[in-house]
Amino acid sequence: MLKVTSLSKTFRTDAGDVHAVQDVSFTANDGEMVAIVGASGSGKSTLLSMLGLLDSPDSGSISVNDTELAYLDARGRSDYRARKVGFVFQQFNLVPNLTAIDNVKLALEFAQWPKNERHARAERMLAMVGLDTQKISRRPSRLSGGEQQRVAVARAFAAQAGLILADEPTGNLDSETGKRIVELLRTTATQEKATVLVVTHDQAVADQADRRLRIVDGKLTEIA
Amino acid sequence: MSAIVRGVRNTFRNGVRAVGIIVILGVVIALSVSMLIARQAVSAKISSVRASTGNTIVISPRGFFGGQGGGTPLTDTQINSLLSIPHVVSVQESLNQRLTTGTDTSLTSPITPGTLGQEFGGGGGGGGNGGGGGGFGGGGFGGGNGTGTFTLPIRVTGTNSPGTSLVGGANGGGSEKLVSGVTFTPTSNANVALIGTDMATANKLTLGSMFTAWGASIKVVGIYDAGSTFANATVLMPLASVQRLAAAPHQVTSAVLTADSVDNVAGVVTTVTNQLGSAADVTSTQSTVEAQLSPLNSVRTISTYTLIGCVIGAAIILLLSMLMIVRERRREIGVLKAIGAPNRSVMMQFVAESTTFTALGAVVGLVIGILISSPITSTLVTASNSNANGGFVRGGGGGFRGGGSGFAPPPGGGGGVGGFRIRGVNNALTQVHTAAGWSTILFAIIAALVIAALGSTVAAATITRISPAEVLRSE
Repeated sequence: MLKVTSLSKTFRTDAGDVHAVQDVSFTANDGEMVAIVGASGSGKSTLLSMLGLLDSPDSGSISVNDTELAYLDARGRSDYRARKVGFVFQQFNLVPNLTAIDNVKLALEFAQWPKNERHARAERMLAMVGLDTQKISRRPSRLSGGEQQRVAVARAFAAQAGLILADEPTGNLDSETGKRIVELLRTTATQEKATVLVVTHDQAVADQADRRLRIVDGKLTEIA
Repeated sequence: MSAIVRGVRNTFRNGVRAVGIIVILGVVIALSVSMLIARQAVSAKISSVRASTGNTIVISPRGFFGGQGGGTPLTDTQINSLLSIPHVVSVQESLNQRLTTGTDTSLTSPITPGTLGQEFGGGGGGGGNGGGGGGFGGGGFGGGNGTGTFTLPIRVTGTNSPGTSLVGGANGGGSEKLVSGVTFTPTSNANVALIGTDMATANKLTLGSMFTAWGASIKVVGIYDAGSTFANATVLMPLASVQRLAAAPHQVTSAVLTADSVDNVAGVVTTVTNQLGSAADVTSTQSTVEAQLSPLNSVRTISTYTLIGCVIGAAIILLLSMLMIVRERRREIGVLKAIGAPNRSVMMQFVAESTTFTALGAVVGLVIGILISSPITSTLVTASNSNANGGFVRGGGGGFRGGGSGFAPPPGGGGGVGGFRIRGVNNALTQVHTAAGWSTILFAIIAALVIAALGSTVAAATITRISPAEVLRSE
């Protein structure tokens, strides 16, 4: 279970302080899909960065299964990101010179999965997200946007991460493909018993989530 | 797939750029390899020349040259005191005298004066009592009639090291070999002599024959062959005998010190010079050769600096290339970190990439470097020696004849002896042979590692500073 308590982050700029995230608290259960909705600049990506330990909060705490994470050192953070968190980005962010299956295996390598299990696990994950078998050896440049995002989803779930953070996962996809990707996130989360946080400004995407939270000027509120 | 494998594969992600970087690194490494080979070849040449120069030091009264007079003779005491100088292992003393046929000795020189003899000696004619400043015949020896016809004097060398004399040195020729008879002992005071083959033939002397010198009867105990007409026209006698007969007690006109090693020759020369002061001229072949080795030393210095410069240059080229690549893949690095890659893993990937660039550059550079090392070395050595020779020829042109005869140098030809011989050395110095061995390959490997290490540092430091959050935020 993910528990966020009084999380705050302020950026200091020449124009003054920007309170990107202010006193945010919420919980998300295993297997639950939570959508965080907000306009551009509302602080949703900053919140996601802190939850993924890409950024440090100024105050507050983040705990997963009662383990405090917010103030881990650099090594602990990278280890956490490798084993406990999966990322799905708007731009897919696959490594361009690696094949689809190698991209998935890369996440398994960082999570220190046994070498002899990586290939089979990667194949299984790619099959789970619906990528054709003959396409798993293709590089990202030879895959469509939807296919690339499927590979990204497979990569995020590959190491059996308990928390999947998806930042505008449908932003670069047509509506039909985007809908399928969100559905994929949802079903995979159920199968893998992972918590999925989807940051989006697309109401249609948010409607597919179990719960919806709105972030405005860094403050989070639950949408009924 | 490990970080190292990813790094190696990433090398060829951009084929054109990869080839460009490898070629540039290859050319720079080729230059450094060729400089290394040139340095090794020149160093070997310098060592071999130094080793062949010998470890002897020649001492003669200041102003004395080839028995032509000048200067004040040294004494046994002065010379023997040199034995106490550190690194001096032996001293060979000699006293050179010239005898006039008919007046001082019954011997006749086997050498006909010829055109050169007439030129040097005949012109000075004038009575037979002239002081000996000039050339051969000078007034003092020719007994001339003013027309230049004269007889060459008989050269007698008294030595306390007949054994050494007979293997070359004291007689002014090459290596004397005893062809019949026996030699005398170093401390002998007997009226005995070794004579050259030409002297024996010209005077119809054989073992046991007698001739006169300084009014005394001298017995021929040995005949030698030195391989040159000049040396075979000379008489060798015990030092003590010559000092006694010539009324020159304790006098020495030449001494040869032997140092325990070539490396100590310079130090011994300095000590002897300080000890004898203005009484003597102290020379060694080493100092002469060192002067001639100067161009090669310059080549060695140039090649060393170029070598270091090339390695640093290659490191800078790689550093800038890797920096460019890291900046270009900034987002990818951020993504790798976001999905759990530790800094160490990402850095290792880029270090592997830079090492692959360098390794391939080193292979290319090694091959090209070995191929171009010989012409580059030849060019460097030839150019360097040409510069040195230009100065030498102007200064020592007149020295050839002096060196050839071993007698009086013509005016301005003070360096004649050295001049002639040095030209020979110089010709040999341009013959530098290059060779690439395991040390060259080892150097290429070490240089590649150094270049890769230096070239990766800034890239690695940049990688550690890349924040995945900032990179992803830019989306």
